[in-house]
Amino acid sequence: MRMALVILLMTTPALAHHAFNAEFDANKPIKFKGTVTKMLWVNPHAWIYVDVKKADGTVEEWMVETGTPNTLLRRGLTKESLKEGTEIVVDGYQSKDGSRRANGRDLTLPDGRTLFLGSSGTGAPYEKK
Amino acid sequence: MRHSLLFTVVGLALAAVVGLVMPTAGQGSKTGPAAKKYTAPKTPWGDPDLQGVWNDATSTPLERPANVGEKGVLSDEEAEEFQASLANELSRDRRDGGNAADVNRAYNEHWMDARRLKITADKRTSLIVDPVDGRIPVLANLSPERQKVRAVRAEGAKRFAAGLPDDYTDMSWPVRCVVRTDVPPYLPTIYNNNFQIFQSPGYVTIAPEMIHSARIIPMDGRPHLHKSLRQWLGDTRGRWDGSTLVIETTNFRADEGVLFQNANPATYKITERFTRVAADSINYEFTVEDPATWSRPWTALIPWNKVDPDEQMFEYACHEDNFDIVHFLTGARLREKKAER
Amino acid sequence: MSLRRTIPFLCVAAAGVVALVSFASSSLIGQARAPTGTQFPAAYRAPRLADGRPDLNGVWQAFVTANWNLEDHDAQPGPHPELTGAYGAGPGGQSVIEGNEIPYRPEALAKRNANFQNRLKVDVSNDKTWHALGDPEAKCYMPGVPRATYMPFPFQIVQGTSQYVLFAYEFTSATRIVRMNWQQEAPTDAWMGWSRGRWEGDTLVVDVTGQREETWFDRAGNYHSDALHVVERYTPASPYHMLYEATIEDPKVFTRPWKIRFPLYRRMETNVQLLEFKCVPFTEELLFGKFRKQAAR
Repeated sequence: MRMALVILLMTTPALAHHAFNAEFDANKPIKFKGTVTKMLWVNPHAWIYVDVKKADGTVEEWMVETGTPNTLLRRGLTKESLKEGTEIVVDGYQSKDGSRRANGRDLTLPDGRTLFLGSSGTGAPYEKK
Repeated sequence: MRHSLLFTVVGLALAAVVGLVMPTAGQGSKTGPAAKKYTAPKTPWGDPDLQGVWNDATSTPLERPANVGEKGVLSDEEAEEFQASLANELSRDRRDGGNAADVNRAYNEHWMDARRLKITADKRTSLIVDPVDGRIPVLANLSPERQKVRAVRAEGAKRFAAGLPDDYTDMSWPVRCVVRTDVPPYLPTIYNNNFQIFQSPGYVTIAPEMIHSARIIPMDGRPHLHKSLRQWLGDTRGRWDGSTLVIETTNFRADEGVLFQNANPATYKITERFTRVAADSINYEFTVEDPATWSRPWTALIPWNKVDPDEQMFEYACHEDNFDIVHFLTGARLREKKAER
Repeated sequence: MSLRRTIPFLCVAAAGVVALVSFASSSLIGQARAPTGTQFPAAYRAPRLADGRPDLNGVWQAFVTANWNLEDHDAQPGPHPELTGAYGAGPGGQSVIEGNEIPYRPEALAKRNANFQNRLKVDVSNDKTWHALGDPEAKCYMPGVPRATYMPFPFQIVQGTSQYVLFAYEFTSATRIVRMNWQQEAPTDAWMGWSRGRWEGDTLVVDVTGQREETWFDRAGNYHSDALHVVERYTPASPYHMLYEATIEDPKVFTRPWKIRFPLYRRMETNVQLLEFKCVPFTEELLFGKFRKQAAR
């Protein structure tokens, strides 16, 4: 008979991260297409600024929080890898305070490809010395 | 339960109740072909060479999962299943389980360290090797003073988890970018699990990626700093025991929430051992003891895998662009205002 | 000895003494003076590591006042003398720049002056203007290169025989890895930049690109743009000194490249080591205090 496996909590106060559900609202999922105006390749979170054109023609600026850029850099991406003007689809959850900020749960290009999956397409993933 | 969400792989696994299954019966692990004893190369000045960029990510939990019983090592088949279950549980690409679970999985899997979905090559069920049950020993009773300090911090952590911190002191030291995975013992986390080891005559230096600090360890037998000097990362001295680097660290600061499981710096001891067991592998072993925190010392063994030259360390500045501190606080003030109306 | 032979002997001896004395005098007069002041021994050759390269290992520190101002500066009161008196006041210092002054483009000078006026103002309420105000040092941000070299804190060089040399700075435990003979360009910007090294004779030359544009050179507000390019030179000058030079190039801000130069001193205390200067907790009230929940009235 198979038994359920329960993994014990690993309590490590030495490293604790904020619970996303403390800042972003599970009841406010968002999904929109927008145009990248810039990306900040910074830690602890990289940020993508996205302009979203609304039905009435006005443009809203959103800030999308993403992960650590270091993971991407190790796969050969650089700060040139997301160009201004690129259209992306942001699937995430809006900030609890109602501001135009979201955590980028799933980021894709309009054709469905996941953003930043794989290397940037520059050829070899790592430039060796 | 203290609700600061934990960065560690196991912490995330427990965020949702785990329905993994494991065979209860089964063979013990098959031993592979007898390993040829590896002799580490030496630096020109005769020290065992541990240099390189190393990664410690793994899905093997620190503590042996419940219901595994006494099984310390898995068979090949069990290991495959164990790894697959963990990988599924820990995957950030899953969107199931409702929004509350989903929001916490941010971001996609490719932002994370892919190696954290692999169990250790030796197929153990826990990183802890002593005690043999693979679990952290029973916690000692806290003194009233420590209970009080801990209670205050827990209140702050609760406010923070609710998205309503009073001020920056309600946030943890890692969130405030004071320390992250650089306080020993080194434990795997979801990304940037990298360490670079540098060696120079008379020193071994360990540089964790988060947060950009370097532990420059004298090997010449000089004494520790006087006990009146206290540091976030303590003060470390090293020696060679054959091919093993043995380092001991003392002089930790007394701030609550820095040491593992809030051990008491006055009585806490940590010894770490590094042995290069293959060209691409170091065994990192740590033993911690603190009679004021645990009923007995305990030891864990975590393999470090070499990732250079293809993968390098990158700067992890943290405080410099830590916008979220302001987001948390201004967001809290805004919501308080809305609630007042 | 008979008198006949003694006298000539004595004469010869006397002559010898006279000769010796006059030789000694003339050699004192004619001898070059021992090196004094600021001359390092010519052609100092540092001890070598196993790979034949000069051994730069050690704890080093600069003792110029360049962190206050790279250019000539008189002593100055601190930012709040009404609170701190002589504490926090700045010492005077001579410029470390060849040619004395930073060659700003005329239109770029105003920003330096504005920086100085705003050096202790901070406003992090808006992400987009997060870095607009305040000396990064006051905010405990990593100082970049070359400022990290002349902060009033020691740093340590960790040099083995691999292609990596680590520079560890006591200020905010900043580190940077100098990769020797490295081709890859900076993939993104970093507060401590992207450092690639090579040897030119006994000089370690470090080429630094990819620095965050938000760092300053000093507390006087001297600054640069994202086009900054720094080339450092570390040359052992004695067992206890290293000569440091850095050429700074930034066509967006300066009319030409310019160079700073000063010695670095080996810290000689027994068992000297870097301590921690983790200054983030010293800055949180300044940066984030105003967002605190106010007590209910």
